[in-house]
Amino acid sequence: MRKALPAFIPFVIVVVALESLVRAGWIKAFLVPPPSAVFETLIHDWRELFGALAKTSVGALAGFALSAVGGIAIGVFLSSSSAIRQAFYPYAVFFQTVPIIAIAPLLVIWFGYGMRTVVASAFIVSIFPVIANTLTGILSTDPALRDLFILYGASPSATLWRLRFPAALPQILTGLRIAGGLAVIGAIVGEFIGGQGLGSVVDVARTQQRTDKVFAAVLLASLLGLALFGFINLLSRVALRRWHVSEQN
Amino acid sequence: MDLSRRTLLKLLPAAGMLAACGKPSKIRLALNWKPDPEFGGFYAADFAKHGLDVELLPGGSGTPTVQMIGAGSSEFGIIEADELLLARTKGNDVVALYAAFQNSPLGIMAHGSRKLESIADLLKGGTLAIESGLPYARILQKKFGFDHVKVVPSPGGDLTTFLNDEKFAQQCFVTAEPLQARHKGVDVKVFPVSELGYNPYTTVLATSGDYLKKNPALVTNMVAAVREGWRAYLDNPAPTNEKMHGLNPSMDPASYAEIAEAQKPLIETGTLGKMTKERWETLAAQLKELGDIPSAPAAGDCFRDL
Repeated sequence: MRKALPAFIPFVIVVVALESLVRAGWIKAFLVPPPSAVFETLIHDWRELFGALAKTSVGALAGFALSAVGGIAIGVFLSSSSAIRQAFYPYAVFFQTVPIIAIAPLLVIWFGYGMRTVVASAFIVSIFPVIANTLTGILSTDPALRDLFILYGASPSATLWRLRFPAALPQILTGLRIAGGLAVIGAIVGEFIGGQGLGSVVDVARTQQRTDKVFAAVLLASLLGLALFGFINLLSRVALRRWHVSEQN
Repeated sequence: MDLSRRTLLKLLPAAGMLAACGKPSKIRLALNWKPDPEFGGFYAADFAKHGLDVELLPGGSGTPTVQMIGAGSSEFGIIEADELLLARTKGNDVVALYAAFQNSPLGIMAHGSRKLESIADLLKGGTLAIESGLPYARILQKKFGFDHVKVVPSPGGDLTTFLNDEKFAQQCFVTAEPLQARHKGVDVKVFPVSELGYNPYTTVLATSGDYLKKNPALVTNMVAAVREGWRAYLDNPAPTNEKMHGLNPSMDPASYAEIAEAQKPLIETGTLGKMTKERWETLAAQLKELGDIPSAPAAGDCFRDL
């Protein structure tokens, strides 16, 4: 709890400042809602907002899980030879550069309205950092340790699973941290088009000029991103505590 | 740090000059969609003749023109009448000046092969793609319920799903998408939303109350230029269509001509652009009944006849 305290200070400052600026009339309430109005909306519309949050969570988590599994698998595959890397890596970069807003309408046509489109969108935007970080991690194995494995006659698969993959874990986890936030964004973009969850709430609230509700939904989306981030940090702590400096403070 | 200070120093005189000027050189008119026949009269208008230097800013899906007017990031904007009422109840002082579409072009189109008789039939099955945030969507829901139809977000002007799914109905401008669908060989049945008794002024030129107060003569000239522009566009849309096609080639020249013709009855119903207190009152009462606005703003404050 004491560790979380510093994070609350900027939050409180921003909330108090915004509230005062809006109340003083420096910022127009129809452009930026006062935090008190956002809070009121959170309470008044909680059933709708939290129901939407649950849907968005499912979509984002499913997309993230697919990215984690698929991204690590592809990263490992690409690390197997430089020929494979040259042949396939450029296509992996496609996922990083694809403008999700532009292809989201196509996702609806391919996957239909609803959850599948949302998951696909979350997956597409979040897989690349996992691939890239897994690959870099595996390729940066300590050469001295690799020589040691060769000296003892370890098979390539033993070298991969006993040395290179574990040594790549810190970077893979970094990839997952980035992917977590992106999956939430991807899910909400998918929901704009696919029609459910927080994305749909934002879309409708925007049409109705309910900036307070837009902010309430965005706040919940960022809480979801934060929760995902916290979960990966926990995972990282468990996996790396015994041997990696980043988790030994 | 050093860099930002230097940038700041450079910006200061510029800011001072802007403040001294008082009036920006160009007057901005923010559109809420890409150049197309819906804005024909604005593109046809000869602003220079009225001593105005106007820049038309094309928009896209969700361009918040009503907020842009209130924030002063655009002097004029194109809005819908219901948006204006929502904005006014939120303290955004926006005033309507000229209603290009006297009757709302909003509608829902379905495949003709479904043999639907009325809007109520639309809600008995299949999929309905609409902007759920719009008031008419909730009027539909209140009147008929959404229990038997799957409601999904409107894909804008994209017809792909509609063309591939016979049970798919979508929100449209009655003057635009149905024509495109027919070109693709699909038999289309169109239900105008005004059949529900909901008929807001659409493609409305608006400004902020503050700007109107400070520049009454300029605003009067603006409205005069726009009215003449629409007159010219109704009489001979071809030159303006060519200009707009240059700006937005996503639609072919034949469609420009066809839509310009189809929208005429919605525009030319009497004095071009004129609004009445009664219609603003009706709309405000409808929105109040829906619970979209807590109280009806005074109709006389919503628009100015110039």
